[in-house]
Amino acid sequence: MILYEHEAKKLLKEQGVPSPRGEVAKTPQEAAEIARKIGKPVIMKPQILILPGGRAGDFQTAATPEEADRAAQGLYRKTLNGQQVAELLVEESLPVQKEVHVAIRVDGAAGAPLILASLDPLSDLDEEAKASNKVAWRHADPFRGLQSHEARKMAKGLGFTGDAAVKLADQIQRLYKTYSQWNALAAGFNPLVMTPEGNFLAAGAFLEIDDSALFRFPQLRELSLSRIQDPLAREGKTIGVTYVGLDGDIGVICTGAGIGMATVDLISKRGRPANFLETGGGITEKQMADVMRLVLKKPGLKGVFLNMYGGINPIHEGAKGVVKVIREDRVSIPVVAKAIGNFQEETWKILEEGGVTVIKTIPTDRAVDELFKRLEK
Amino acid sequence: MSILIDEKTRVMVQGITGRMGAVQTMYMLKAGTKITAGVTPGRGGSRVEGVPVYDSVEEAMAEQEINTTVLFVPGAVCEESCAEAIDAGLKLIVLITEHIPTHDTMRIRAYVRSHGATLIGPTTPGVITPGKCRIGIMPTHLFTPGPVGIITRSGTMSYEIAGLLTAEGVGQTTMVGMGGDPVVGTGLIELLDLFNKDPETKVVVVHGEIGGTQEERAAAYIRQKMTKPVIAYMTGKVALEGSRMGHAGAVFVRRRGAMENKLKAFQEAGVPIADSPGEIAGWVRKALIG
Repeated sequence: MILYEHEAKKLLKEQGVPSPRGEVAKTPQEAAEIARKIGKPVIMKPQILILPGGRAGDFQTAATPEEADRAAQGLYRKTLNGQQVAELLVEESLPVQKEVHVAIRVDGAAGAPLILASLDPLSDLDEEAKASNKVAWRHADPFRGLQSHEARKMAKGLGFTGDAAVKLADQIQRLYKTYSQWNALAAGFNPLVMTPEGNFLAAGAFLEIDDSALFRFPQLRELSLSRIQDPLAREGKTIGVTYVGLDGDIGVICTGAGIGMATVDLISKRGRPANFLETGGGITEKQMADVMRLVLKKPGLKGVFLNMYGGINPIHEGAKGVVKVIREDRVSIPVVAKAIGNFQEETWKILEEGGVTVIKTIPTDRAVDELFKRLEK
Repeated sequence: MSILIDEKTRVMVQGITGRMGAVQTMYMLKAGTKITAGVTPGRGGSRVEGVPVYDSVEEAMAEQEINTTVLFVPGAVCEESCAEAIDAGLKLIVLITEHIPTHDTMRIRAYVRSHGATLIGPTTPGVITPGKCRIGIMPTHLFTPGPVGIITRSGTMSYEIAGLLTAEGVGQTTMVGMGGDPVVGTGLIELLDLFNKDPETKVVVVHGEIGGTQEERAAAYIRQKMTKPVIAYMTGKVALEGSRMGHAGAVFVRRRGAMENKLKAFQEAGVPIADSPGEIAGWVRKALIG
């Protein structure tokens, strides 16, 4: 679950990381009002959801409330990262002595959190960032977390000394605590600003919470659902599957992520998949019926292709759900299914009786060939 | 020969009385796996498929011969369950469970490693040495003994690859599911190294996907140390930037985790990349002939 910048800053504030004075505005009038209250030049940042490292949203500065009003009108008309701008974070524009970019990422290779810091923006590739002599980095022990002496060494590595090094290290450690407390996959300052008075404030911040850890934060459950932009993807989440909308016309249902990716890759060579969908383990008749109905919601579908493996999944149960929807909803487009694994014979029988074209051989490429043959008929 | 598991493997099932644990215990036994004990707190003294159930790992270890454990326990208790197995002295843990918080996985991995033990998973279909031992959730009939090692980031892709090799009469030494999470217990390089040392394995098939840097780093290992042919198949070429494609670890943002890096690394290492699953068997045959 990706947080809006203002939400990330709120959680950081709870850990003692200050950010510039500011508020969220929903209209140009509100933006001007906040600018007036601040009484200084402001920076206005569109609040959009974007994975850390993604293309940053446009921002604008304004010296007066009138300028803020005018600039906000332009920003509210924008679509960034596929999202219509609905909120602006209006904050005091800080005088900058130095900027420090900090990111905490999960390093799969080390199996540990990787903390990167630099006076320049950080590379999106860990290896590239680590290789730069302008970057201070280290791994944290997953049990002990980032120790203060470790954070101080990083600050010194960036050329900070004395009081400034201690203060910077303190903010990096607070960022780590926020990352740890919220089970984040990524957290960072983009950037942390040192003012001429020597204070450190989070001018930019990001936080992505691990979806697998949301059970620890029941207060975020509802919110995390509402954050999924695509209504079909949101519905997928509520029925316990992963749906990713693509721009084609062939519906795809798979019982695993790997075979799901292989399937959309192969369909894309000759046509266009409408979606990626994988059920994960533990399908039931009802869930597969829900999944069929979900995939069929996309307008203009020419056919549906299922790729099912009976490992952990009872595919014969799933097959019942598929044919139930074909019958009840009078599905008239071709449905083609490859089904292999435990209970495959029973699954084939159920599908064939329900009017599904069944493929009983293993390679997905051959099954996709059959799909296109069926579609061309 | 094989890697990780063979006919000497004695398996304990943690979470044996759950729906998944019980069904998969039945399939594992059918495949010839020697399961000597199960553990579910509060259910000690009962039996599942004839396997004695204990309240704790320690009690199971005291009465049965066990050298490997497989876990079908809920994500929220995996960290404790793995620690219990490690504290009791087990050295091989297969963690099937999906959706474990990544922070937990990092701690589990660190704990297991600091005790000189091996963790496979999480989010893994498991490990199978066909004809000898099946630990996990894979459809057994798709696998057959032979000279090919398989390493995958996905359960279903492991079935597809093994199944199509088996259909072509090419068997497998061992298939290991690395798991689809951002952090896994045992990575691609370590598994390639095990296959490299296994005299029976003649060729290794690797399934990779978008996200992380496992493939890029493995390419360097292959170039420098691998003495056997490696064939790769990659999934996730058609993915939406910033969307997790079913696996928590299968995501790219700009260059981070992108497919191009992986394809380039394998190409530079001279690893043939099958364009579709149907091509894999052809490449494997060619490599076996040498």
